[in-house]
Amino acid sequence: MMLNQFLLLAAALFCMGVYGVLTRRNGVMVLMSVELILNAVNINLVAFGAFQDNIQGDVFAVFVIAVAAAEVGVGLAMVLLMYRNRRSIDFSEVDLLRG
Amino acid sequence: MIELLAQASTGVEFNVAQNIAWAITSAIMLFSAFKVVTTGNVVHAALYLVIVLAGAAALFILLGSDFVGATQVLVYIGAIIVLFLFGIMLTKAQLGDDDSVQKEQRSMGALVGVLLMVVMSFALIDSFGDEELVFGDPEPVEYVPTEVAISDLPTPVIEAIGIVNTEGTITITQAQFDNLDPEVQRRVPGAEVFGNNKQIADAIFSQYIVPFEAVSVLLLAALIGAVVVARKE
Repeated sequence: MMLNQFLLLAAALFCMGVYGVLTRRNGVMVLMSVELILNAVNINLVAFGAFQDNIQGDVFAVFVIAVAAAEVGVGLAMVLLMYRNRRSIDFSEVDLLRG
Repeated sequence: MIELLAQASTGVEFNVAQNIAWAITSAIMLFSAFKVVTTGNVVHAALYLVIVLAGAAALFILLGSDFVGATQVLVYIGAIIVLFLFGIMLTKAQLGDDDSVQKEQRSMGALVGVLLMVVMSFALIDSFGDEELVFGDPEPVEYVPTEVAISDLPTPVIEAIGIVNTEGTITITQAQFDNLDPEVQRRVPGAEVFGNNKQIADAIFSQYIVPFEAVSVLLLAALIGAVVVARKE
């Protein structure tokens, strides 16, 4: 297999994740798109690890998975808090910091 | 680098099964990822995300990293998706659709995504155009010389060492072991394959022990933070 097969697939997943983050307004959907991006990064890490025949790629992928779990936990807690305060999780309504 | 280029030009054998597995997995993943970011139904998006994550786990196993694949299944599909479904249910997000996205915002998002994809594919093809993934190296085998009954030895080992009598016990020395074929080596009693999982464990608990402990503190902080943020007053 070519290395690029995996890298290009990961790049496509990453771009779809970016599209989702930019266009989705539902808070939960934005978090899901972030998960797509993190997964693309993981595929890259493992593919490079296999390419160079060392284990560091795998180790970092495991760390990324752990950090992603923490990120989803805190992110969803914040979305829940927002829902409780505003009865909506539409990110485009959150514009208090707009100049 | 020169070695890799030489391997690529001599043509490493083309493994059909691997490539078919890759093609099917990646086609399913791309379709599901597209549905995740475009479907109007939030619950459907979460279920499509399951398919993408499972496809990533399949790719990890295809790349020989079974530990990362198993972790992906346990942590992502087992825990994170459940969290997402809880988030969807608790926020009563418009279960119908999320179709209120403005047309302009959608086209700008698509433009950014496509441009990013073009730039990244150009960079990737330019820098890794003909790099092959080689899975040639066998996993390292560790051996502790032990005394074993000859009758317990597998036939290939007996033949490779050239044992004549079939009675009594023998201790295969390290030097004899090193001369064996890698395929025969891992069948010798007392030999232990130093596989992928062992290498990861070794790396995490020696070289990366500080990041590992930092991740455990991070998870604790995230746990407490999530409870504090989400609880009622």
